[in-house]
Formats: sequence, C-alpha cells, structure tokens
Amino acid sequence: MTDSVYVPLLDLACGAFLLTGVLVLWRRDLAAIVRLFAVQGADLGALVIVLGLHKGSAELMIAGVAVGGLRAGLLPCLMRRALMAGGEGRETKPLVNVAGSLLVAAVLAMVAYAVSQPLVRLTPTPATQAVPVALTVLLVGFFVLVTRRRALSQVVGFLLMDNAITATAFLTTSGVPMVVELGVSLDILLAVLVLQVLTTRMRAAFGGTDLDELRELRD
Amino acid sequence: MTGLIGAVSQVVLVAVGSPLLAGLMRQVRARLEGRAGAGVAQPWRDLRKLARKEPITPHGTGWVFRLAPLVLAGTVLVVAAVVPLVTTLSPMDGVADLFAVTALLALGSVALALGGLDTGTAFGGMGASREVTVMALVEPTILLSVFALSVRVGSTNLGAIVTSAVHDPLEVISPVSLLAAVALAVVTIAETGRIPVDNPSTHLELTMIHEAMILEYSGPDLALIEWASAMRLSVLLGLLASLFAPWGIATAGAGLAAVVLGMAALVIKVAALGVLLAAGEVFMAKLRLFRIPELLAGSFMLALLAVAASFFLA
Amino acid sequence: MNLTGTLFVAALGLCLAAAPAAVLTPRRARPLLAGAATTAAGLAGAAAGVTALSGQGWSARLDGVLPLAGVRLDLDPLGAMFVAVTGAVAVCAAVYGVAYARHGLDGRVAQATPPLFVASMLLVPAAASVSTLLVAWELMALTSLLLVLAEHRRRAAVGEAALWYAVMTHLGFAAILAGLAGFAALAGGETFEQLRAAGLPPGARDAVFLATLAGFASKAGIVPLHVWLARAHPEAPSQVSALMSAAMVNMGVYGILRVGLDLLHGGPAWWWLLVLGAGALSALFGILQAAVASDLKRLLGHSTTENMGLVLIGVGAAGFLASGGDSMLAALALAAALLHVVNHSAFKTLLFLAAGSVLHATGTRDLDALGGLRARMPCTTALFAVGALAASALPPGNGFVSEWLLLQSLIHALPTSGVAGAVTMPLAVGVIALSAGLAIATFVKAFGVGFLARPRTPGAERASESPPAMIGGMALAAASCVILALAPATVLPGLSRLAASLVPGSGHPPGPVPVSGEVTLRLTGYEGTISPLLIAVALAIAVIGLLGAVRLFASRRARRAARLWDCGAGPMSPRMEYTATSFAEPLQRVFDDVLEPESDLDVTPTKESAYLVESVRFRARIPDRIERRLYDPVLAAAGALGRAATGLANGSVHRYLAYGFYALTAVLVALAVIW
Repeated sequence: MTDSVYVPLLDLACGAFLLTGVLVLWRRDLAAIVRLFAVQGADLGALVIVLGLHKGSAELMIAGVAVGGLRAGLLPCLMRRALMAGGEGRETKPLVNVAGSLLVAAVLAMVAYAVSQPLVRLTPTPATQAVPVALTVLLVGFFVLVTRRRALSQVVGFLLMDNAITATAFLTTSGVPMVVELGVSLDILLAVLVLQVLTTRMRAAFGGTDLDELRELRD
Repeated sequence: MTGLIGAVSQVVLVAVGSPLLAGLMRQVRARLEGRAGAGVAQPWRDLRKLARKEPITPHGTGWVFRLAPLVLAGTVLVVAAVVPLVTTLSPMDGVADLFAVTALLALGSVALALGGLDTGTAFGGMGASREVTVMALVEPTILLSVFALSVRVGSTNLGAIVTSAVHDPLEVISPVSLLAAVALAVVTIAETGRIPVDNPSTHLELTMIHEAMILEYSGPDLALIEWASAMRLSVLLGLLASLFAPWGIATAGAGLAAVVLGMAALVIKVAALGVLLAAGEVFMAKLRLFRIPELLAGSFMLALLAVAASFFLA
Repeated sequence: MNLTGTLFVAALGLCLAAAPAAVLTPRRARPLLAGAATTAAGLAGAAAGVTALSGQGWSARLDGVLPLAGVRLDLDPLGAMFVAVTGAVAVCAAVYGVAYARHGLDGRVAQATPPLFVASMLLVPAAASVSTLLVAWELMALTSLLLVLAEHRRRAAVGEAALWYAVMTHLGFAAILAGLAGFAALAGGETFEQLRAAGLPPGARDAVFLATLAGFASKAGIVPLHVWLARAHPEAPSQVSALMSAAMVNMGVYGILRVGLDLLHGGPAWWWLLVLGAGALSALFGILQAAVASDLKRLLGHSTTENMGLVLIGVGAAGFLASGGDSMLAALALAAALLHVVNHSAFKTLLFLAAGSVLHATGTRDLDALGGLRARMPCTTALFAVGALAASALPPGNGFVSEWLLLQSLIHALPTSGVAGAVTMPLAVGVIALSAGLAIATFVKAFGVGFLARPRTPGAERASESPPAMIGGMALAAASCVILALAPATVLPGLSRLAASLVPGSGHPPGPVPVSGEVTLRLTGYEGTISPLLIAVALAIAVIGLLGAVRLFASRRARRAARLWDCGAGPMSPRMEYTATSFAEPLQRVFDDVLEPESDLDVTPTKESAYLVESVRFRARIPDRIERRLYDPVLAAAGALGRAATGLANGSVHRYLAYGFYALTAVLVALAVIW
C-alpha cells in the first residue's frame, strides 16, 4: 500500500475511533452507547487491518479481524443482552452534566496531545503520530468510568480504556505478539462476563444498576 | 472582470434562488409527510403578496424596529458577495475573511433581536433572549472550525481556503475536514433556526425562537425578513458546500464558461443539501431549549478536535 | 525643550493650576473653569503623546522636586501611547463633566480632584524611575479614591465600594512597591535605564515579575483581583467612571508591558502563559458576570474586566511567542493588544458617559426599571448604540478590528509554537469566541432592554435628553470610535511600530511592522487581509439599495400605526415586557454550574386555605463566586481574629500600659540573652 493512500486511511480510522469515543459522552441512551462502542470496535479492527496492509503482514490482518470481531460483535452482543434483561435504558443523571463532559473531553484531548509528544518524537511515523488519539480515548474512557452511574456505561468506559490501550499497542509497536493479544482479549471477555453477572445480581438485589447504591453494602 | 461577473452572478443567484430553495425544502417535507405541498415557487408568491400589503408600524416601536429587516437583508447580501460560492475571484474577497463573514451574519441576528426587543412585547423579548443565547454559544464553534480549516492553508481568507481545497480534493476527506464539516453543519442549523434547534414553522410560545422575534412584523417588512432568512440559509448551505465540496467553483484563470458552470454546480449542491436537511427534519424532533447547549457543546468539542487533529495527525 | 516636552508640561501645568483655581472660584463658575482647564490639559496631553509616539521623544530630570531621588520623566513610545489615550479620555470626560457637575457635583473636592487625577495618570506612563512611578501611582490611587467617594452622602453602597477599592489598590501598591524596590536594590539603581541594564539572577527576575504582575493586574481588574472594579467603577460619578474604566485600568497593562517586556526584556514562556491564562479567565468571567448583571454601570464595569482580559491574552501571546523566537507574530499579537487598549478606551468612555446620562435622566441604573429612552433621549440612545456595537465586537465597530487582529495572531501561532502553543492557542481562540458571543448578548441586553421598547417605570417615563455639553462629550468619544472603526490605519502604524520595537529579541532597528495598509489591513508575512471601511461601505450600499428596492417594488401605501399583538386582551402594561433579568435567564441557566445563582421563594398562603396564595415573593441574586470562595474566607478569618483580639482590649488603662511594659521587658530580656 502506498503512503498516499495509507496515511489518509489511517487518519480516517483514527478520526472515527476518536469520534466514537467522545460521542459516548454525548448520548444518554444506553443502547446508543453500546452501538457507538460497537462502531468503535469496528474502527479499531479497521485500524489494525490498515496497519497490516501497510506492513504486508498477514498476522496483523488476522489480528485486526479478530479484534474487530470481538469488539464489534461479541462484546456489544453480550452488553445488549444485559440491557435487554434490565429495564433502564438511559443514563439519566450523570455526575457531570453532558455539556460539561463534552467540554472536559475537549480539554482531555489537548492534555493527551501534550503528554504524548515525547512518545511521538521517538519515532515520528504516521502511526505513532496517532497515539494522542488513543490516549484521548483512554482518558475519555476513564472519565466515563468516573462520572457515569449505570453499570453498563461503566462497562463501556472500561472497554473504551481497553480499546485505547490496544490501539496504542498496535500504533506504537505495530503488533504485539498474537499470544499476548489473545490473552488480553480473553481477559476482557472474562471481565465483561463477570460484570454481566454482577449487573444481573445487582438488579436482583437493588432493583437497579445505579452503582451509588453499592454504598449500602458498606453500611 | 470574470471575478466581478462571478460576484454579481452569485449575489443575483442567491437573491433569486433562495425563496425557491425554501420552497423546495417545504415541498420535500410535504411529500415525505404525505401532503401534496404548495409547489416550489410558493415562497415567491408569498413574498409578492406580503410586499403588496400596507406597511404597518406597531405602537411604541421606532427606528430600530424599522431598520432591523434592512440590516438583516443587507448583511446577507454583503456576505453573498464575499463568500466564494460561484467563483473564488470575487473582488470583495480581500475585504472580509471567514471571521468577518460570521461577524456580519451575527450582526444581522443582532439587528433582528433588537427589532424584537423594540416591540416591548413578551414574545419579542423572549425570541431575542433565546436567539442571542444560541448565538453566544454557537460563536466558539464557528471560530474554532474556521481555525481548523485555516491551519492547512495558513489563512482565514475564504478564497485561499476554497482554492486550496479545489486543487487538493483528497484534503476534503481528512479527519480535520470531516470534523469541521460536522461542527459547521450543526452551526448552520443553529444559525438558520432549523430543527432540532428551532422549528421554522412553529408558533408555539414555548418553543419558538426566530418566529417570536418577528411576530410584530407584517407586510413589506415581513417580506424582507422572510426573504433574508431564506438567503441566509442558502448562503450558509452554499458556504458549507464550497468549503467541503468545492467542485465546480471557478478559480484563477477561469473564463465566463467556468462561471456559468460554477452557477450550475452551486444550484445543484445547495439543492442537494437543502433536500437532505428537509428530509432530516422530517425524522427529527425539536430539542428542548435547555438541551440545545449540549448540542452546541458537542459541536464545540468536534471543532476543537478538528483543530487538534490538524496537529495530531499532521 | 522640544514640542513634545512643551505640550506635556503644558498639560501637567494646566491640571495642577486647575485644582487650586477650582478651590478658589465660586460655585457657579467652578465646573466650567475646571472643565475647560482639564479639556485643554487633555488635548495637550494627547498631542504630546502623539508627537512622542511618532518619534519625538522627550525626557527630563528634576532633582529638586522629590527628596532623595528627584523626579525623572521620559516619554518614550510605550509611555506616549498611554499618555495619548489618557489625554483623549480626559477631553471627553471633562467636556461631559461641565454639565454633569450640575447634579450636585460642583463641590470643591469634586471639582479640584479630577484635574489632579488626570495629571497623575499622565505622569504614571511618563515616569522613568521607580520612585517617580510609585509616587505618581499612589497619587492616582488617592485621587481616584476621593472621586469614588464623591457621592458617599447619597448612597450607602459608595462607602463599601470605596473601602474595597482602598484596600485592594493599596495591596496592589504594596506588591508593586515590593517588586520594584527589590528590583532596584538588585540592580543598584532606580532609574529605568539602570534597571534595563541590570542582569538579575533568574529567581529574582521571577519574583520581581510575579510581584509586579499581581499589583498591576489588580489595577487592570484581572480575575481574581477584580472584586473592587465592579464595585468602585459604578459608584463613582459617571465621568470619573469613564476615566477609571477607560484610562486608569490601562495603567495596569502599561505596568505589565513596562516591567515584563521593557525592563526585564521578556522572560520564560511560563510567565506569559500565566498572563495569558489570567487574561482568558478574566475575559470569560468578566463577560459572564456582565451578561447576567442588571445594573447598567456594573455591567459596564464587568465588561472592563473582560476587555482587559482580552488585552492580556494578546500580551501573554506576544510574550510567549517572543520567548519562542517568533518576533513577527509576537509583534502582531502585541499590536492587537495595544489597538484593543485604544479601542476599549474609546468605547468604554462613551458607554460610561451615556450610562451617566441615563442615570441622571431617570434616577436609576437598573436596567429592569429602564426602557423607552429611544423616544425620550434620542441622541444618547444613538450614541450608546455606537458604543454597544463597538463593545460587542461586530463589524462595523472598532472592537471588531482589534479582535480580528488578535485572532489572526493566535491562529497563525499554531504551527510554530510547539506543544504548549498547540494546546494554548485553540483554547484561547475558544475563550475569545465565547466572550465575543456573550458580549453580543450582553450589549443587546443593555441596549435593547435599557433604551428600546416602552418605559418600565415612571422614572424612565419622565426622562428627557441631556444638556449639550454632556452630548458633546459623548459625541467626541463616539467620533473617535467611528474613526477607529473605519480607519484603524490612523493609529495602527504607530502602534505596530511600537509593538515591533517592544518585542524582546527584535533587535535594532526593529523588524518590519506586523500590520500595514491604509484601507485594507494586511498582515506582514502571513496571508490575511481585512478592510473595515469597505465592509461598512458595502453594508451601507446594501441597506440603501434595499431601501430603494422596497420603495420601488413594495406597496406605496402610507405606514399605518397599529396595536401590538396582545392576544386580544387589551393594551399590554409595561410589566409584561421582558426585563434584563428575564432576558439573561436562559444564559444564566446554561451557566448555572459556573455562576451558582441564589434564589429564594416565599409563598404566603391565604388564611382560609393552604392552597390559595396570598402573595409570592421571589428574590434572586448572582453573587460573585470567586469573591465568595476566595475573599470571604480571608475576610471571615480577619474578622474572627479581630473579634478575638477584642479580648485583649477590655478598656482598662492599666492593662494597656502593662502591655507596653511587658513588651519592653521582653525585648530587653531577649537582647540580653542573644548578645
């Protein structure tokens, strides 16, 4: 693949990756959030495949398909099932309001850019230059984790962070060994399954998935 | 010379074509909602009817009320002469850049808001208050989008931005362009008072913004406002088309044929955007007034990300 | 003595002569005499500034005037610009003041102090040694304090405002004193030449800059040192408000430029990022407070904070870019900041004078009680409209030109300025944009609610147009606004040259000017043009053409007056109009988390039933959040300390004498132990 096609495609994939990440903050509808997460998973897969095409590495391309399949197919599917099981479809009152969250996301993007510069300067290729994007999604994911109340949005926040870490790994090293990637993916799957069980149990115990209610366990 | 002809032709095209665009959009809406519609030329017929009516000055209003429609329409005409819709060679290009264009459009809104306040009715004040609130929140998005678009070219002059996009079509699909395009599209919707920010066909006091300001206008004054609002919509859609789909615009060295081609391209692009907007409006509901800041904060974030992307992904 | 010197000395002489003359003349002639002398002084001062700015500098050394150090004056281009602005503002304010004084402001103190205030503001930028600067600065603080107090018998709020002002200005003075005295001690001399030549260790430079920055920023009303501004400026008589808000705050900017760029030759990037950040915070916070304010003069005071914030964004960007070695863009940012200083002075003079006219015609500054002045005070309304257009930074107003230049300098900075710049510049552009948007909302409110529609109270109903001298003063300010708006090239060459020479590292001779052009302004080295005059002309042609077209094509029937749409319920009362508070309510709701407004609602039910309401009382206020979080705890602690200390003073003379005795013994014992 020539550079003139590779760079715009890579940029586009990164742009979409970033956009889906921050849009999670915008939507209140949990189903829409899950959809956005699925789109982001597909973007991540596309990103890895583009990298693989550029390097001409079949292994990377397979990893891309696997990553995309897991994050755009399996995980959203599981989450949707959890959503179906419960009644609440909306993130009604996040701890930081939506407009405020969006502004924070904008500032986080700037912070991510500033702190990742030393990393980019090591090897300034088009791929490493996109690291700030991944870092932004990481911070946004963390922010979702901190400010959203519903268990499902928290899962999405956690998974956003994981997507971002995966993206960083591929962008900086152009491919972690397959074994590591498989291991990480299994961990994620396990985590989601555990959380799914947890949400079901929570709903059974408290009738809702507002995590603030877990405080009652302490008393 | 080509530049002058191009500039005049785009002003004339905007002046004549805008009511037709409004008519087209209403027609599309009507058809999608299963109505027959009044035809594309209906806005022109309305304007003719209004212009023939007796001019009316409501009690207690003064020169601000009378001047507001003229200033509103005047700013749009100036913007239509400056913005590269048909050609980038407008002799007015150096006069005003993208910042000045947005400021001129804001001046038009301010004039109308003052006209609304001058009536002293609750409706006028309410519309003006909401209009300037939306305008204040839109401003950061506009300026940052302008910023993002200017980074690539190193200038905020519209001619330079559009020329560069014409010469390098691949730039248009870069993340910077796409993010800025979405941000500016939201801004366009907010500035022209379309769904989901404002509903141009409502007269319900809880929701209206633009219509509340102009409630006291009638006859020729109202005709001027309706016409100016239609021109505003088409100029903004045209600007959006020129910035992100600059195909067919006459650039340096072009002859008269290119200007004619540019006019045809403009009509097609703006009509397509108008149809898209109208179709979108059918499927969307108006947002609550206090949810609008979220939409605008989102567009601000997109604009900031566009700026960031211009050096993230350099 | 050259022309500059003659004019400057004439200006000072006139001011100093006007003060005793005003004390001696009878009450009837007093305002005219003081006003005429101050007008002449202002003209001479402005002329001196202009000649000095165009290259004819002047310096003087008067050893006998002050003990020990003597007075040193030097009108270099930087000082000259601020002298010129002060002179011009003084002219407008003095012409206006002749008629304004009739409203009970023709006492000896109220008439003798303004010339002294103007003299001190002419002296501050001309001072060329630390002691001269400090003396002039303190004179400025004291005279302005006296003027703030001028109406203390009429309103209780004046006393409180003056107290805040006195404390804040003296804390600021202490900071400047500490900074400059330390600087002079390290440099081994107190003239500016010696300070310029001194090489300070970095730590000392930082300390000097930070101390003086705090002092000067408090004078400019920069957040978080702004709390006095929105109190003191509105409470002063209106022409004094104009002098304070349009000329005195500039001295803060002058001080930062003088110390930071001239005496310390610029500094590390973080200094200037700090300045930029403070500017951005002030711009946003100031305009947000202005947008929700309903007191006209307070609104204007908050808007001063905003505009000084914008100026500091420019100054900070200039210093930051210069520290990165980009002198051309730095000069552009600085030229934009200086132009904004000039523009702000022009429109803020106009707006405060117009607010004064409104206050005296209606007896209130509360926008909620105004309205309908368009028909009753047509000249004031038109002049306020000019000022409001300028202040909302829309074309064809003068504020637009300087904000355009500022934005240009920021957006071109991006590719060159590294990581810090890449993060700062977009955020700064966002801040400027939001403050511009809120400024539009603010001034639509001030003009639309205050002057248009129908009067909301009997006071506004009875208003009548101001006397000619007041209109004359406003018209002068409005004329300068119009000139600056349509032909910024009248002042830009001088300011650009000044900016180019002021940027550290620009070398000798300084580089090319950052902005050039007569009708169309062009950036040097970057692509960017704008032509304010042609925009205005095009707009005028379009409006006139449309008027012609309406005459030609529309109905030729005569205009008919008709009832407003009142839903068929009879004529609407003024109580149904939107007020300033209701106008700002959506914005207040949007920025609820930032402003934290307070409201309380008392519902009194009737005796018969809890469901029927007898009366409803609603009260809302928007306290300054920074003041509450930052100042109130300090004030409370000071108060608590004071109350605790009352335990020490129980009224017994023996006890007080015993304190002295104990202290003396303790000191003696301590000395005995140490030696």
